[in-house]
Amino acid sequence: MTQGDRQVRSGPGRLLVAVYGVFALAATSRAGVQIATKFAEAPLAYLLSAFAGIVYIVLTVALARNNRRLALVACAIELAGVLIVGTLSLVDSQAFPDATVWSGFGSGYGFVPLVLPVFGLIWLLRRRPAS
Amino acid sequence: MTAAYSGWIIAAALLLALAGIVTAVRDKSMGVVLLAGLALLEVALLVQAGIALAGLDHVRNKATFIGYLAGTLVIPPAAVWWGMAERTRWGPGVIAVAGFTVAVMTGRLMQIWNGAA
Repeated sequence: MTQGDRQVRSGPGRLLVAVYGVFALAATSRAGVQIATKFAEAPLAYLLSAFAGIVYIVLTVALARNNRRLALVACAIELAGVLIVGTLSLVDSQAFPDATVWSGFGSGYGFVPLVLPVFGLIWLLRRRPAS
Repeated sequence: MTAAYSGWIIAAALLLALAGIVTAVRDKSMGVVLLAGLALLEVALLVQAGIALAGLDHVRNKATFIGYLAGTLVIPPAAVWWGMAERTRWGPGVIAVAGFTVAVMTGRLMQIWNGAA
């Protein structure tokens, strides 16, 4: 295999960069608006929203710069985040009056936030560098 | 903004996404059709942005509205750039994502325009 075949950003990886880029923008701006205008209503939810945005930004940059290790870590955090926040939002809906990207396992975004890290992990793990 | 015009943009963006998927399934890279489609979509989005900005007083949630508006304008050029950089089926794959995103964002623009939060 050539060097290019080992890159995590080309081929299907480019699709991931595009989708993560959109989510980075969407989640970060949503959290920004929420924190700026009504932070006191649900501080926990809005902080998690911002955290999700940061994770998406890190993933977009890591993938785009071919940083496979960082992308793997961020992807694992993303999967853990969507599972934990998804569960919490169902158990304690009072703490999450306003939806975040990850609440309800990403139901407000067509469950893409739940599916995305799975595809991301599969893609990254299949691109293990030749030892 | 009018529902009729933005409705056409949503339909066109979804059609472009479909064309991107078809091209990706056929294992082709971006061709003239997708390129022209993205160019037309960008022109239509610029017109929509002009109409929207002209009636901005109408909108309550201005910051979010302008954010979405700017987002729709940036996406097609970015998709063209990637379509040219990635000469495999994944270039049209990105274009499909771009078309779908523009459709969703235009839908959100309509909601905000019509007074939803």
